[in-house]
Amino acid sequence: MKELPEILKTLYDAQIDFVVIGGAAMHLQGSAYVTKDVDSCYSRTPQNIKRLTAALKPYHPALRGAAEGLAFVFDARTVTQGMNFTLSTDLGDLNFLAEVAGLGSFEDVKAAADTQIIAAMEILVLSLVGLIKSKKAAGRPKDLYVVPELEGLELLKRKTGAK
Amino acid sequence: MTPKQRKLAYELITNPPPGSKLAAAKEWGVDLTLLYENLLRTPTERAQSFASTVRSFNALRAEEKKTALG
Repeated sequence: MKELPEILKTLYDAQIDFVVIGGAAMHLQGSAYVTKDVDSCYSRTPQNIKRLTAALKPYHPALRGAAEGLAFVFDARTVTQGMNFTLSTDLGDLNFLAEVAGLGSFEDVKAAADTQIIAAMEILVLSLVGLIKSKKAAGRPKDLYVVPELEGLELLKRKTGAK
Repeated sequence: MTPKQRKLAYELITNPPPGSKLAAAKEWGVDLTLLYENLLRTPTERAQSFASTVRSFNALRAEEKKTALG
């Protein structure tokens, strides 16, 4: 896996509308949680889809876990016809979701995000309140397991004003 | 964090207010010192540590698998 700032820079430089969600967002918010992929919620506008597919093309995106030989092209047509994509790329495992449980579509997720300055880039990262809401709504054991940590961290940041 | 924020954060993680979400997290098994250490870092530093943390975790996992098989 490439360094996270490099992954974010690829998306940022391509002017893609995205919000970092999931485990990567937890880590950026200060959680000790570790995940092996980077999840983002992306805008479904035709322009954004075009930018996203063009930006990832040099990194050979493939559908993760798909049967060998299955034809898959990560292009605007494919993304328009689908919603969520779990990709393996030369940058690492990247997941792009159109919606987030408990929050909704990209605009709802964006409204629940904080702006973080990461390597001189303004990156939207799902807030702790948004993460807690989404984890509770997803409701799987692995989601619920991290809620106490997120709630404790949210209190710690709120009380101290830490970023 | 400013020195004042650090002091308050340290007080909170060493003595979480009874009945608070922080106390509940500690009770759940969360190592609050890790949260404190992460908050001492800037978002850029956290982003930089992400991949190396994942690599360490994967190496540990691989070692664990090898041990289980061996």
